[in-house]
Amino acid sequence: MLDSLLSAQLLFAAAVLGSIYALVGLGLNLVYGTMRLLNIAHGDILMIGAFSAYWWFTLTGLSPLIALPLVAAIGAGLGLALYFGLFRRQLAQGLPPAAIEARSLLLFFGVSVVLQNVVAFFFSSTPRAYRHLDEVVRIGDLAMTGNRIAALVVAVTLLAGMLVFLNRSLFGIEIRALIQHREAARVVGINVDRVQMVAIALGFAAAAIAGALLSMTEQTSPFMGFRFTIAAFVVIILGGLGNIRGGIIAGMLLAVIEIYAVTIFSAEARSILIYGAFVAALLIRPQGLIGFGKRG
Amino acid sequence: MKRRHLLGLAATAAMTLAALPAAAADPVRIGYTMARTGLFAAAAPSQEQAYTLWQEQVNARGGLNVAGEMRPVEFVSYDDESDPAKSAQLYERLITSDNVDLLIAPWGTPHHLNLAGVAETYGFPVVGNTAASVAIREVAPGNIWFPTSAIPDRIGPELAAMLSEAGVGSVSIIANVLPFGQENLGFLTPALEAAGIEIRMSENYPPDISDMTPLITQIKAAGADAVIALTYPADAFLYAGQARELGVEAKLQFMLIGPTIDAFHKAFGPAADGIVTLAHWSPEQAAWPRAKPFFDAYVARWGQAPDYLDSALAYMSLEILEQAVAKAGLDRDALREAIATGTFDTINGEVRFDGVQNAVTPTAFVQRQGDKMQLVWPAAIATAPLTMR
Repeated sequence: MLDSLLSAQLLFAAAVLGSIYALVGLGLNLVYGTMRLLNIAHGDILMIGAFSAYWWFTLTGLSPLIALPLVAAIGAGLGLALYFGLFRRQLAQGLPPAAIEARSLLLFFGVSVVLQNVVAFFFSSTPRAYRHLDEVVRIGDLAMTGNRIAALVVAVTLLAGMLVFLNRSLFGIEIRALIQHREAARVVGINVDRVQMVAIALGFAAAAIAGALLSMTEQTSPFMGFRFTIAAFVVIILGGLGNIRGGIIAGMLLAVIEIYAVTIFSAEARSILIYGAFVAALLIRPQGLIGFGKRG
Repeated sequence: MKRRHLLGLAATAAMTLAALPAAAADPVRIGYTMARTGLFAAAAPSQEQAYTLWQEQVNARGGLNVAGEMRPVEFVSYDDESDPAKSAQLYERLITSDNVDLLIAPWGTPHHLNLAGVAETYGFPVVGNTAASVAIREVAPGNIWFPTSAIPDRIGPELAAMLSEAGVGSVSIIANVLPFGQENLGFLTPALEAAGIEIRMSENYPPDISDMTPLITQIKAAGADAVIALTYPADAFLYAGQARELGVEAKLQFMLIGPTIDAFHKAFGPAADGIVTLAHWSPEQAAWPRAKPFFDAYVARWGQAPDYLDSALAYMSLEILEQAVAKAGLDRDALREAIATGTFDTINGEVRFDGVQNAVTPTAFVQRQGDKMQLVWPAAIATAPLTMR
């Protein structure tokens, strides 16, 4: 048992899963943190990213990794379309956060249903998959498939880049300011509309990229997104709503629970442990496990 | 002047209608519901695509033979949103409001069990297809029939017999906690014990599992001759990918559902070679002359291979219905009698029913060998011998 727990194989599995959870959670957190929009279509944006990568690979034969900027642009474009089409005017009305959350929940529910069915209508619900970077790389006892290494490297790079962007760049600091205090941010002259646009574009792009990475290792179907929506919400609630750094740590933590708890207890205990940790976190630290109760 | 003009138009219209050929006979309206959205949406297309292919083929050859009269086929279908209760309501609507002539099946066991109640209530004969549970035997016989032979209380003993004959002395089992996985596990475990095959590990896992590294690490540590993964499609991809990554070296790997899906081969290619799975049909069986043409037509129409279970079963159910309608027409009593007592020539060979069940087709397994799926069990219908690593 101890050998298993200390194995590099489990660490690699937890790192891959955690970085994907963190990336999916990051997108949701940016959108919620800056605008209080509860995007329950988040997993469907991931699905759009997965389909984009699938078609890119199928039609061009080129690596979906090359297409990541394109996939990100599709995600960002979708986010901006929804922002201008559905949310911008509502956000400008100065509604209380609870009202925005309630409205956005309903609107995104509709968006989710529409996205799933539009994709099913045009491409059918048939599962799709392709082979890319599926060679197994072995280093000692550690075995890694090329596409999982690629997913890990891309996700970690993007997460690190995003943290640097949010902490070091002026625009990143503006995003964090909006997350921390919307009205104060407006008072000090931050262009709230512009920050919101960028946040939704980045958030949707992150989800779409996560989808493209997953399309290399999982089947792609119009209805694949729901479990990632759930995972993203667990991540951002564990990490503290709107707490970007907390969300990333929570994504990793969720993967550690999933991988190591299954090893120690059993696979059947997976959902009990994950959702048990989730409920316990809500009871003990409703502001999130990480941080001090403040967002940012 | 105006009135004369109208009369002229009416006369022309009447002559045109009278001159229409016999092919313009009233269409036979066939109703069904399908899980186009919701939980089962990814699984259902392989069934509905077989329906569409059959409809196009029948209409292309002049229509459905209804006791000697050729009539075009028209589908009336609804999305049941993967909800068995909604499906049953829609089947009632198809019968009472849409007045369809025939019914064909929805996707999956729970939907079939609900449909059985509707069929019984209205005395409407239906040939089922994608239901696979011992629960189908609880259904009152008379209005619904199941061509499948993939039923857990047969799968368990047959799998144990195949492994025993192949010299497998020990197995590791992982099973999805969803009903079909657990039903199979329930019959497989005693069958393996009876066959003297040691079960080195047996673990269940939830359907939303995201990583199987811990489970596969245990499988590797157990070092059994064979791995039995009682999978559903989504986790089949996860298992196959990670078992390959971690280098599971069992002589044989069996996966319950997943490897017959076209996308599975696209995902794993040669790495799927040797994987054994559940199916009782293969285009490679020359004794079933309809099998290969169906495979080729499906590939030509949809650009992908049919699912060896669901597409084949869906098409079989239509072949059975077609042959029964040719004999008995659309009268429900006559049709019921024709299905219950008839012998049918299908892509899966001869089929006839004993009560609700197919009395002919044996429970069978296929193995990916190169670019083909070969029937490897039982010997009576095998198209190639089972290969071990």
